[in-house]
Amino acid sequence: MPSALLLRFLAIIGSFGEDGPSQMALEDLALFRSVHGSTVFYPSDAVSMERAVEIAAVTKGICFIRSSRPATAVIFDNDEKFEAGKAKVVFRHDDAKATVIGVGITLHEAIEAHDLLAKEGIHINVIDPFTLKPIDKDTIIQAAKASGGKIITVEDHYPQGGLGEAVSSAVAGETGISVKIMAVTELPRSGPPRYSLICLVSVQRRSWKQ
Amino acid sequence: MAATFKLDAGQRQALEDVANKLRVDSIESTQASGSGHPTTCMSAAEIMSVLFFHTMKYKVDVPKDPANDRFIMSKGHAAPILYAAWAEAGLFPVQNLLNLRKIDSDLEGHPTPRLSFVDVATGSLGQGLSVAAGMAYTGKYLDKADYRTYCLLGDGESAEGSVWEAMAFASYYKLDNLVAIFDVNRLGQSQPTALQHDMDTYRLRCEAFGFNTYIVDGHSIDDLAKALHAATTVKDKPTCILAKTFKGRGAEGIEDKEGWHGKALGAKAEAALAEIKGRIKNQGAHGITINAPSGAVPVHDLSAVKLPSPPAYKKGDKIATRVAYGTALTKLGENTSVVAVDAETKNSTHAEKFMKAHPDRFIECFIAEQNMAGVAMGCACRDRAVVFASAFACFLSRAFDQIRMGAISQTNVNFCGSHCGVSIGEDGPSQMALEDLALFRSVHGSTVFYPSDAVSMERAVEIAAVTKGICFIRSSRPATAVIFDNDEKFEAGKAKVVFRHDDAKATVIGVGITLHEAIEAHDLLAKEGIHINVIDPFTLKPIDKDTIIQAAKASGGKIITVEDHYPQGGLGEAVSSAVAGETGISVKIMAVTELPRSGPPKVLIDMFGISAKKIVEAVKAL
Repeated sequence: MPSALLLRFLAIIGSFGEDGPSQMALEDLALFRSVHGSTVFYPSDAVSMERAVEIAAVTKGICFIRSSRPATAVIFDNDEKFEAGKAKVVFRHDDAKATVIGVGITLHEAIEAHDLLAKEGIHINVIDPFTLKPIDKDTIIQAAKASGGKIITVEDHYPQGGLGEAVSSAVAGETGISVKIMAVTELPRSGPPRYSLICLVSVQRRSWKQ
Repeated sequence: MAATFKLDAGQRQALEDVANKLRVDSIESTQASGSGHPTTCMSAAEIMSVLFFHTMKYKVDVPKDPANDRFIMSKGHAAPILYAAWAEAGLFPVQNLLNLRKIDSDLEGHPTPRLSFVDVATGSLGQGLSVAAGMAYTGKYLDKADYRTYCLLGDGESAEGSVWEAMAFASYYKLDNLVAIFDVNRLGQSQPTALQHDMDTYRLRCEAFGFNTYIVDGHSIDDLAKALHAATTVKDKPTCILAKTFKGRGAEGIEDKEGWHGKALGAKAEAALAEIKGRIKNQGAHGITINAPSGAVPVHDLSAVKLPSPPAYKKGDKIATRVAYGTALTKLGENTSVVAVDAETKNSTHAEKFMKAHPDRFIECFIAEQNMAGVAMGCACRDRAVVFASAFACFLSRAFDQIRMGAISQTNVNFCGSHCGVSIGEDGPSQMALEDLALFRSVHGSTVFYPSDAVSMERAVEIAAVTKGICFIRSSRPATAVIFDNDEKFEAGKAKVVFRHDDAKATVIGVGITLHEAIEAHDLLAKEGIHINVIDPFTLKPIDKDTIIQAAKASGGKIITVEDHYPQGGLGEAVSSAVAGETGISVKIMAVTELPRSGPPKVLIDMFGISAKKIVEAVKAL
C-alpha cells in the first residue's frame, strides 16, 4: 500500500465541540502539506470521501485524508468523477461578487452562506478544491477573475499552512486577485458550535461595501 | 491530620465518603453536559480522594503556590473528577461543576490553564508524566524544596512511548519526589487494554525502568494511603503505584463493562447515583483539613532576563548562527532563572556552552525529544524559569504534539532548532529540517525567529526569553557573515531592509542562509546594472507586512521569496498570505521542491534552486 491513510476528527464547527482544544486538529493541514511529495485530500461529503480513499490507495507517496466528526449533506452524485488536483465548482454566477472556497465542514457553511446571500440578491461562486495539495490553481484563478478578483477562503484550521495559504501561494503569481483568509484565530474552547455561518455571511456583506 | 500510613476508622470513612462524593460529582456534571467521561472518573475516585484529602500538602486557596505539592492529570479526560476534587476541597462551589463543558465555563472537556489549578493542558495522552518529571527535577535540583509531584495516568495511556521516555528520565535523575500513579481500570476506548489486569507485567516494566513500584487495590483507601506514604521514605528512586481498579466503579451493570467509555450515564445515572449516595455515611461537609506545605519557595522575576552584554562581533566575520545561539544562551544564563535542555545534540546546537558555564541549570534529556519538550514545559510552569530547549530542527517534529499541547497550555518554552535545510550538507535529508517553519508557524500564539547572522541571533534569544507563548528560533550549520552592527535594534515583527534602490526591479526576501544568497545575488546583479531590494524579515511570525508591501510597491509589485525549506507553510506562504489582501503585488516562491540528498552545502543550495545564481536567474526572468 503506497499511501498512509489517516483520519482526523474535527470538533469545532460541529455538534460535539465539547471535548475541547486538546482533541481538535487545527495544524494538521500545515503538517501534511509540508511533507515532501504528499497528497492532501479534504473531501466535503460521503461520495467524494469514498473516491478520496480510492484515489489515495493508488497514489504514490504519503496521502492524508481529513475527515470530520459531524454529519454533513451528500452533495455530489454517486457517479461524479474525482481527481487529485481538480476542484469542483459548486456554484457559479456571472454576477458573482466573490469566489468562496471552503473545505470539508466549511464547504457546507459556504453553501449555506451562498443561499442566504442569494435571498438578498447577492451571488457568490463556491468552490470545493477536493485536494489542498495539489491544488487546482487554474479553476481557482479563472473563478476569481470572473468575480472581480475577490477570493474568500474558509477553513476549520489555524491560518498558517492550510487552505488560505495554499490558495494565496497558488494565486501569488497573479496580480489583480486578492484573498481574504477566514480561519480559526483564537485558541478554541469546549462548547457547542456557533457563529461560524453568521461570521461568514457578515464578512461577505462587509466586503461588498469596500 | 498528619500524613501517616495508618489511618484510623474515622479518617478512612471520611476519605471513602469523599471518594463517593467525587463519583457523584463526576456523574452529575457529565449528566448536565450530556457528554464526558464519568466511568473514567469513577475508577480514580479513591486515588483522588487520598491524594487531595490526605497525602498532598497544598494551599487550596493558592493553587499555584510554588511550595505546593503538584498534581498532573495526565489522563486528561478524567477532567470532571479533577474539577470535583478542587471543588470539594473548597476552591469553588460544588454546584459550579454542573457548568462542565458549557461555552461560558472554564470547566472545559479536558483541563486547560484557563483554570487556576491547572498547570498544563492535558487530553492528548502520554504527555503529563514528562511535565511532572520537569516539575520534580526543578523541585529536587533547582528549588531544592520539599514539594512532591504526583501524576495520574491511564493504563491505555501507557501504550504511548513518551510515558516510558519520562520514566527513564525520572529514574536516571533519581527523582524520588515524583510519584506516577497508573489507574489500571482494564478498559480502553473501544476495547480492553493490551495488558488488562496483568499487574505483574506492568510491575516488571516499571521496575525495569528504575521505579520503586507498588501494586495496590486501587479502591482501598488504606492501600493507597500506605503506598503513598511509603513513597516518601524511598530515596533516589521515583515511585510508581499501579492501582488495580474498575472502570465505572460503584454502579451495578456499568462497573467493569465495555461500551461505557466517553459517554454520560444517561438513563442509568439515576440508579447509579442512588447506589453511590447510599454508601456515603456523612452526607454533610467532609471536615477534613488539607495540609499546607511547610516551607516557602521563592518566586522568580522572569522579566529581568536579558543579555548582560551586547553582541560583540566584527562585521564580515563568518560565524554560524548556531554558534551565536550558544553564546547568547550562555550570556543570558548568567540570570539564574534561565534553564536549558537538549536532546543529546548539545555539541551541535551549541547548548553545550551553556552547560559548561551553568552546569546546575542544564538538563541533558538524551535522545527523547518528546520527553524533552514535556520536561521543558514542566520547568517553565508557574513562571519558575525561562527555558530554552534545543535539538536539530528536524528532530523537534517528533515532539509536535507536545508542542501543540504546549500552546494550549500557554507555555513560554523557547525551542531552538539547528541544522535547518539542505545547507547542512553531507549528512543528507534525514537530518535536514525542511518542514519546521510550517510546523512552528501553525502553533497557536507562536513567534518564529529566523535570524540571519550572529548579531540578530543573539537578539532573537534575548527577545524570545521575554516573549509570551512558544518561540522557535531556527539556526543554521554553516558559518555566515556578520551583517548587522552590534548595537542594531531588533523587534519581533520588524524586518530589516538590507538593500533599497529607487529603481529596484523586484524585492527579494531571504531568511537565514538564503538572505546571504540574496545579498550575493544583489551584488552580482548590481554589476550588470540591475537593482533589487533585499529584505530580512527576522521573524516569519509575526511577519512585517507593511515593510514588505511598501518595498514591493516600490519595485513594480514584484516579490521573490527564497527559503531553505519546502514550499509549504514557510516564508513564501507567510509572505503570500501577508500580501494577499493587496492586488498589484505578485510573489514568486523559491524553495526546495525536490527531495534533497547528501552533498556539499554550496552544491546543494544551487542544486535545489535557492542559490544566488538561481535568484539572479529569477530576477532576470521577471
